Amino acid sequence: MSGAGPGLAMRPPGGAGGAGAARSMLRRLDPPLLVASACIVAILLGGSLYNSLFLSPHYLVQQLQVASFLGIVAAGAMLVILLGHIDLSVPWTLTAGAMLATGLAGSSLGGLAAIPIAVAVGAAIGLVNGLGVAFLRIPSMIFTLGVNAVLQGLMVLYTGGSAPPSSAVPVVRWLAGGRVLPGIPNAILVWALVGVFMILLLRATPFGRTVYAIGNRERAAYLSGMPVKRVVCLSFMLAGSASALAGLLLTGYAGKAFQGMGDTYLLPAIAAVVLGGTSIVGGRGSYAGTIIGTILIVLLQSMLAVMQMPDAGRQIIYGVVIFSMLLLYGRSRSGQA
Amino acid sequence: MSEAAAGDQLPPLLTLSGIVKRYGQTVALADGALRCEAGTIHAVMGENGAGKSTLIKIISGVVSPTEGEMRLDGRPVRFKGPGDAQAQGIVCVFQELSLLPDLSVADNICITAPPRRFGLIDRAAQIAQARRLLALVGCEAIDPRERVRDLPLSRRQMVEIAKALGRKPRLLILDEATSALTADDVARVVTLLKRLRREGMAILYISHRMHEIRELADRCSVFANGRHVQTFEAGARSEDEIVRMMIGRELSQMFPPKPALPPGGAPVLETRDLAWETRLRGISLSVAPGEILGLGGLDGQGQREFLLALFGCLSGVTGEIRIDGVPSEFASPRQAMGEPQRLALIPEDRKTEGLMLPMTVAENITAATLSRWRRGPLLNNAAEREAVDEIVRRMQIKAVVDLPVSTLSGGNQQKVAIGKWLLAGPRVMLLCDPTRGIDVGTKQEIYRLLRELAAAGTAILLYTTDYDELIGVCDRVAIFYAGRITRLLTGDGITEAAIIAGALDIGADQKEQAA
Repeated sequence: MSGAGPGLAMRPPGGAGGAGAARSMLRRLDPPLLVASACIVAILLGGSLYNSLFLSPHYLVQQLQVASFLGIVAAGAMLVILLGHIDLSVPWTLTAGAMLATGLAGSSLGGLAAIPIAVAVGAAIGLVNGLGVAFLRIPSMIFTLGVNAVLQGLMVLYTGGSAPPSSAVPVVRWLAGGRVLPGIPNAILVWALVGVFMILLLRATPFGRTVYAIGNRERAAYLSGMPVKRVVCLSFMLAGSASALAGLLLTGYAGKAFQGMGDTYLLPAIAAVVLGGTSIVGGRGSYAGTIIGTILIVLLQSMLAVMQMPDAGRQIIYGVVIFSMLLLYGRSRSGQA
Repeated sequence: MSEAAAGDQLPPLLTLSGIVKRYGQTVALADGALRCEAGTIHAVMGENGAGKSTLIKIISGVVSPTEGEMRLDGRPVRFKGPGDAQAQGIVCVFQELSLLPDLSVADNICITAPPRRFGLIDRAAQIAQARRLLALVGCEAIDPRERVRDLPLSRRQMVEIAKALGRKPRLLILDEATSALTADDVARVVTLLKRLRREGMAILYISHRMHEIRELADRCSVFANGRHVQTFEAGARSEDEIVRMMIGRELSQMFPPKPALPPGGAPVLETRDLAWETRLRGISLSVAPGEILGLGGLDGQGQREFLLALFGCLSGVTGEIRIDGVPSEFASPRQAMGEPQRLALIPEDRKTEGLMLPMTVAENITAATLSRWRRGPLLNNAAEREAVDEIVRRMQIKAVVDLPVSTLSGGNQQKVAIGKWLLAGPRVMLLCDPTRGIDVGTKQEIYRLLRELAAAGTAILLYTTDYDELIGVCDRVAIFYAGRITRLLTGDGITEAAIIAGALDIGADQKEQAA
């Protein structure tokens, strides 16, 4: 499974010098990643007993394509969770980004403008979130929930009078479903780019270091003179951009932007982040883990759908898998400490 | 006292003998002994860390003693918790307030056993009960329906006392209960305590205020270094004798020599009338380059707030801060540490303020100077590693730098917290109790380091609760009392007696009396 690759290859750039590097690499391979990777393999093997189709390259690539949307949303969600906050405005940030970018780029400007528009819309929403959390000191759980509701209202207003164009622009269709490399949808490449960006950002920049510091102990970070408020604001902006970008890609995949398209992304994104080993209270986690968590969630959903499990059973199994894995992590972590 | 005659027939209300309390390796109380009798006020004195608080916690059932015997009415007792002690009539008013700010005064007073009707709390009865208790402490003016949050600190403390009385104590313990009170409220408490004594209550009174003790106490016990030193009838010892009893140890030779300051150095840091809320009431100070200025006095007299105010952590600070004669204003640590001021603060609690415990030693060491170790937008690992290695060598930190800092011993952790700021090359270094809970060897290293930094021209402000440090390390000592500097000691004038006298504001008392 390709998902296990980045987990092993990821090495902290900080770990120069023999024994230290080996030791810190061992530390990085924490149990959650191993458990999640093992789960992916188990699901695939179990599924292949049911139907050999589950191991076909076509199916796997298709799952990765579906996972790329969730993976991009989860990148933003993870950044905010690492800070010890949470972004509940994901559903309507995603929808607003998709609708505004599609609408504006489709009506007046060329299709290419859709991408910067989506990113800018997401960043603007994220800025509002960041200002509320960092400067007004409103708990992120409350503030982003409020922003989500306001966005929903605004989008209803936006589509109410004039019915702006909602059909995906060609360049976005190409970005989501086209193939630069034979056999690999471009959405996967976009996700890979986001992944490289995230890993560099978190591991190799002062910004990333500050994110971890704030998540571990905001007061100590503040007293060390770190730009806490600025980093919190920027993180929410990046998270908003990620959601909006995912929304735009999704229009290319689904053909159009529609209300409610983001509803099914909030909780799976948070689940992917947490299953990937990121601490829900912040300060700990890697994007490689989030990639694995994303793939796990997508495979689980797909497998349950293919098996034609009734919806009730599907929800129950989905929920049970998530919390039993978290129980497992909790135990292994306390064992470590 | 004439009441003592009654005490001869009955066993004393409470006696403690040979009480020891250990926390792991640390001995908080080595030899606690005390005897409380009904109808007396017993004052307990001692400097910070003398074991008073531990003693109180043991008596009120908050912690249980490691060794020793406690007798109540002559029978041995062991409390299972504060509730158990209260049920037996031992009630404590702690100096940290135990009130819930968002509940009403009446809710708070009746919190453990509210009057009930049909299983529900009877609000009317509760308010009546609160009114009665407030009247008892002379605070009829407090409305029982008011939220505690809306009361000023002094009134809250009075509510706290009313709450304690509501539990019908036989032994009432007041742990620094008057330190937050206004003069009017102190007078009320004094009257109240005298009446309670007449009614036969035993009162244990912990205070640093000599004049209150002089007015109230029948008997005094002095503690030093976790040991009971002496118990005597009030007035049997002079204040000088008491101060000497409280010191009770010799100064060790663990401090580096103090070089003479080059005369005429222009001050690096000056403050004028620095004030913040009620905690700082006009602090004016100046520190020369190469000078180590100690901040002394009892714990919590505004020393911490002063350092935080200088470092830009408090909002609403008034007054003036000058760095090299230039008026400066900092809204955040980031500004305070920036050029050209270059301030650094070693905060009080290294675990929550000084370090990000789960992050590695290396990450912690470069936390304050991250933007320096960059190549383009990315971190320059080689440069960062070089800086880390240099600090590890200079501070002699025993650690694998890629492991979490939480794996280090307390002393090494503190070295990391200090080393982080050495990288920033500060001109003014603010230290808040940097040697608390640290082994002697590391302490010595830190003292030497401070001297080295001073010799290189850094101005250092050191707040410490350890009198030895003030005497051994500092060139001058400013004694804080209730948000003001009451004394400035220099050179040979920095003695333990002078520090303690200043901390208790004894000189000021005598002046008041003379006036």
